[in-house]
Amino acid sequence: MKKPPVFWKACIAGIVLLCILSFTPLVIPSDVADPEFLGMPRTLWAGFLVYIGIVVLTFIGTMVHPQAGQVQGETE
Amino acid sequence: MSGWFWVMIGVYLAMLAAVGLNSWRKTKSAEEYIMGGSKIGVFVGMLTFAATLFSTFTLMGMPDFFRTHGVGAWIYLAISDAAMFFLVIWFGLHLRRVATEHDFQGMAGLLSQRYRTRFAGVVYLAGIFLFLVPYVAIQIRGIAIFLSAVFPETLPAWAWSLGIVCVMLMYSEIGGLRAIIHCDVIQGTILLIVLWIIAVGCIRFFGGVGAMFEQVKQMDPALLSTPGPKGLFTPQFLIASFFAILFLPVTQPQITTRLVIIKCDKTLFRMATGLGIFTFLVLVPTIAIGLYGAVKYAGLPTGEFLENVLLHDQHDVIAAIVVVGLLAAATSTADSQLFALGSEVRSFLLLKGKSPLFVTRLAIFAFGMAALIFSIVSGNQLVLIARVSFAGTSMMAPMILAGILSKHKPGPEVVAATLLGLILFLYSQLPAVTFLPSLPKAVGPVRFDLALLLALGLCTALSTAYRSLSPRHPS
Repeated sequence: MKKPPVFWKACIAGIVLLCILSFTPLVIPSDVADPEFLGMPRTLWAGFLVYIGIVVLTFIGTMVHPQAGQVQGETE
Repeated sequence: MSGWFWVMIGVYLAMLAAVGLNSWRKTKSAEEYIMGGSKIGVFVGMLTFAATLFSTFTLMGMPDFFRTHGVGAWIYLAISDAAMFFLVIWFGLHLRRVATEHDFQGMAGLLSQRYRTRFAGVVYLAGIFLFLVPYVAIQIRGIAIFLSAVFPETLPAWAWSLGIVCVMLMYSEIGGLRAIIHCDVIQGTILLIVLWIIAVGCIRFFGGVGAMFEQVKQMDPALLSTPGPKGLFTPQFLIASFFAILFLPVTQPQITTRLVIIKCDKTLFRMATGLGIFTFLVLVPTIAIGLYGAVKYAGLPTGEFLENVLLHDQHDVIAAIVVVGLLAAATSTADSQLFALGSEVRSFLLLKGKSPLFVTRLAIFAFGMAALIFSIVSGNQLVLIARVSFAGTSMMAPMILAGILSKHKPGPEVVAATLLGLILFLYSQLPAVTFLPSLPKAVGPVRFDLALLLALGLCTALSTAYRSLSPRHPS
């Protein structure tokens, strides 16, 4: 049975949002390294968070994909 | 180090030979030779995808990028890679469905079928030849120059290039895609181990991660933010690079083939998540290696920095493993790309009927020779040539996406626009010639390559929308 696509679409929206955020001053402010976290400059720790966020959403995406319950056996 | 090097290289070559011969024994048909048996599981799939993706670009280029341009290098590569793994799920499922319907033998053949014109296959073949051969060549050149600098008395750079191409061609020609995939597993594992061994040594040098960033701040605070000391990582550069890298699974045949031959869709899902974790583990150590270079070897040219950090600062045994790791990184990408180029020629020729396997083997050999010649005459800008290669192939992404995703037959105007886009992109990368007009660096506020990709995307979207709405264009 196909899963409703709403959660899958939410994952896509989340990933698009995270990607857009990566190119805003929130993650890459020009010539700003503060605030630091565990000694890491802002662009790096914020970049780590974005990366982890995308991977987690990818994982959730594999669970909620409309075909997730159907994908078994050989190529469909 | 020399003695240890020859021992390690002997072990490495023996492993490749064993894999090549084993694959040759198991390969019973031309189909298996080209598609590797099409039963790739999660672990092997993840490592072959990663090893194909991560080349000397990762082991040599990324540390140098962190050293020269600072922490913005993380946004440049890691964010694009993470988004790419999500694209693997979305695009991979569509591709696998279409591949099953059309008996996939390669993207050139598939596009020709979807567009119902061989023109689509020709444009695709031209695009991958123009942009993949230089990329293969720069992999070979990077490692050959490095080896000739490390062993100045042994062989010149061109001889190392020749040796590397011969080894790659040997196991690729003998064992086919199965051999390449299983060599990728060895090469990907070596790459990960080598990166962490070096990175741990670099962090120890500083006395911890916090101390590392503190010393980098004292050396050059611009390394800890964007756009970096040389102003490279502007938002536009990062966005243009993002799309160039994001579309690799769509545009690069060695990756699309791997998406098709994965055992099942569930395996594809697991592989995508696994790749996210594996890539994080591969890229994090390149930060430490690069920042170590920023503090210790700030003023040195790239080659000397790499020689010092990868070899002279390491124990002899580790240095020997590192050299093998470099070889593994270069060959794992280059062999897959050469093989994919040969397979694509075959998939295109199959449209006309039979395509004997020896034609594929001959094509792989010819592409190998072209890459060898280019590696001897090309420049040294590893990361930037790689980026041009990625950006060049990304121009074909709208055409391929329309070919795979559209429910209606996509129009030949999309193929014509793509050809024009490739020509314009190539022209923009050529050195200025006085009697020819030069192209603008930007269209309004937007970089030229990004504007070109956006224009191609728009043309393709309009064409697809028109054909899906018009009753004159049935599916």
